[in-house]
Amino acid sequence: MSTPPFHLAWFTSFTAPAWRSTFGGDTGTEWMTGEYYVSMARQLERAGFDFMMFEDSTMVSEALGGTMEQDLKHSLHSPKLDPFPLLPILARATKHMGFIATGSTSFYSPYILARVMATMDHLTGGRVGWNIVTSSEDIAAQNYGMDALPPHDERYDIAEEFVQVVKALWDSWEPGAIVMNRETGHYADHTKVHRIDYRGKYHASRGPLNMPAGPQGHPVLCQAGGSPKGRDFAAKHANAIVATNPNVEKMAAYRADIRERAARHGRNPDDVKVLFHAAPIIAETTEEAHAAYQRVFGMDDPLQIEQTLAMTAAVTEIDFFQYDLDAPMPQDLKTNGHQSVLDDFMKRNEGKTLRESLGERLRLGPLLVGTVSEVADQMEDIVTRVGGDGFLIRAETGLSHTRRYIDEICSGLAPELRRRGLIRSDYPNDLFKQNLLQF
Amino acid sequence: MSANPFHLAWFGAGGFGVKSWNKTWSGRGGRDWASPQLWVDIAQALERARFDYIIIEDSSYVPDAYGSNSKAYLSSATATPKMDPTVLAPIMSHLTSRIGIVPTLSVTEYHPYMLARKINTLDHMSNGRTGWNIVTSSSHRAAQNYGKDLLEEHDLRYDIADEFFDVSCRLWESWDADAVTLDADHGVWADYEKVHTIDFEGKFFKVRGPLNAPQSPQGRPVFTQAGGSARGKQFAARTANSVISGVEGGPAAMKRFRDDIRAQATGYGRDPDDVKVLFMASPVVGETDEEAQAKRARQVAFAEAHPELGLLHLSRHSGIDFAQFPLDEPIPDTAKTNGHQQMLAQAIGKTPREFLRKSLSTMEFVGSPDTVAAKMEEVMAEVGGDGFLIANFDLNRRYVSEIADGLVPALQRRGLTRTEYTHSRFRDNLLEF
Repeated sequence: MSTPPFHLAWFTSFTAPAWRSTFGGDTGTEWMTGEYYVSMARQLERAGFDFMMFEDSTMVSEALGGTMEQDLKHSLHSPKLDPFPLLPILARATKHMGFIATGSTSFYSPYILARVMATMDHLTGGRVGWNIVTSSEDIAAQNYGMDALPPHDERYDIAEEFVQVVKALWDSWEPGAIVMNRETGHYADHTKVHRIDYRGKYHASRGPLNMPAGPQGHPVLCQAGGSPKGRDFAAKHANAIVATNPNVEKMAAYRADIRERAARHGRNPDDVKVLFHAAPIIAETTEEAHAAYQRVFGMDDPLQIEQTLAMTAAVTEIDFFQYDLDAPMPQDLKTNGHQSVLDDFMKRNEGKTLRESLGERLRLGPLLVGTVSEVADQMEDIVTRVGGDGFLIRAETGLSHTRRYIDEICSGLAPELRRRGLIRSDYPNDLFKQNLLQF
Repeated sequence: MSANPFHLAWFGAGGFGVKSWNKTWSGRGGRDWASPQLWVDIAQALERARFDYIIIEDSSYVPDAYGSNSKAYLSSATATPKMDPTVLAPIMSHLTSRIGIVPTLSVTEYHPYMLARKINTLDHMSNGRTGWNIVTSSSHRAAQNYGKDLLEEHDLRYDIADEFFDVSCRLWESWDADAVTLDADHGVWADYEKVHTIDFEGKFFKVRGPLNAPQSPQGRPVFTQAGGSARGKQFAARTANSVISGVEGGPAAMKRFRDDIRAQATGYGRDPDDVKVLFMASPVVGETDEEAQAKRARQVAFAEAHPELGLLHLSRHSGIDFAQFPLDEPIPDTAKTNGHQQMLAQAIGKTPREFLRKSLSTMEFVGSPDTVAAKMEEVMAEVGGDGFLIANFDLNRRYVSEIADGLVPALQRRGLTRTEYTHSRFRDNLLEF
């Protein structure tokens, strides 16, 4: 029995690629013009990716050592430019692929977010999505006048209202509101444009939106909830879910849980695609691939260890520098940051040292290493065992985010997957959402 | 009398919306307005004509001021629909190389950190060609979309704007210009000792900082501002690199306005030459003077026959329902507004019809390219500078071409407007002369 096709997407942010890699080129500063990402988008579309997703955060982290040093030294959370202005030029350089930008429900106003997304949906001919995040760092909140973020679960209550407002604004112009009657001089029919008069506990908006929604109506919604509350939110709203797990059984369990929750919310589970992070390492030969794997994830390089520690610390808001690298992983840490990420990191590495844990932490996804055909085999096997829906390629900053790596995936791996009928060979629909939900 | 060289800019009136849809030269404007192509074409044409910049005007509400419902606005596509200019700006800058691109963003709708970050990103992506048209908003309807019951009172909005401006500048400068070291040997991308928190705590905003991206090519964007009230002018004199003026009363009033802005800028310790005052103009250009005048006569006749189309704008800007006043009775001095003060002041005592007629006759530049160029030179010689901001509500490609390929060459032949961009950054070009 042949494996049904799955989806490929790429997870990145508008940040400095692997500037100190052998193949980093001039990307250390050149990326700020957006050109690196423009050429990347063209590559991905040629390879048959469903979408390119831009993660985002708005802080310079001080989680490690109480200063900005590590974050800036390794260009981790900062610098990060705003992904929204980048999307329109990426869309203009491509014809079919989708683009997802991250917007925080803790920092945006729902009206601005609804309007920006709708504008982008028009400009791209229906090829955008919104990755909904609630944000998890107090230091980011302090840039927006707050002392701290609300507690984790309340952030999802706020997000729920936020999404309701945004959807209502997108729906505030009925289809057909633009009549363009040259005889009577009517451009739009005001009886088909409605106020929303939303007044919730956290958000209020009168409406209507001052423009009709774009071709998709509601752009593709994407989410990455890992906690029970987060999973439920994702299952209720998202078309694409970003998940991270190196263990295939757990990947399968996560996907089954999301699909069950989606069904409970009255949705068709097939309208929710669960995509798992993957960082395949591919080379001409198996030996070269393993050598490359060791360079990328081996934790031999002190700079790499420091960088991975800083990355982990910033997401969890735990200062991992205070722990002995070669002592067993602590098991009782609490955070107001990404608790599910921290819990997962601790549980997964129980009994291992911190140093041993870091390589896998950096890899995020399942082990994928070898020649093109070996990695294609591995991916096919994983998707079969998980049940679907695909992978989200992620090249960690500072290690393999180079044009050369992108080409290995797009000109090496993807064509092999396509030959096997495992990924799309064309984009039969005009709208991103239609293509995403095609299979 | 000859004038010094002056600047040209374009005011994208009505913002990213329907520009022209049911007129002779509208093309597919009613249908294709949501594509960025018209704006790309305009930006490229204006760059060819060496304009300094183009502003994308904006507001974010469906107006219902005239007649107390949205019918008149939606049926005439006036001020709505309007899409987000921060999405359009990067496409325009990506497909041009020298002209300044200036989106409009409101200090009562944005948070300073989000705005500072968007502008910083746009300035990086445009390689130093981004501006910010600072507005405070003037409608309760906009405020209500953002969760407020009412918009803040007029002068308070400018207090907010002052603080917003200060926070934003601090954020744009929170990374020293040389903070990005790219030291590959030590694996140091940026030097954290050159990146600073701002720890701003003001009356309206509290922002820790730093910005999460390095200083952009221009550091601060070019600031444009259009405040016409006393408080608005004060703010503009303090902050703007270019002030937009729609002042009435001909060259004498224009000169007073400019002199006032320059004097106030000096009072803030600024070099007055760092503030370019550009005056709104909608030249009507034809093959011959007669053809241009005939075209102008048709425009006036159309406006006279459809007074409600003009009053829609006045209602929206003033926040007053002009549908309630008989067309031919003077507007009472009891009329009040929390919106555009200057516009209301100009209307009181006139009948709605008179007011409209007067606003139609402001700054007439009608004729062949040479005739209009001569008139512009005459006006600039009397005013002292600094140039014009072209705007046309019924915007189509034909009009843009008449200006960019007709009027501008005539101005250039007279040595009045630039023929090349000397610098790569927007501000350097704007302040060049």
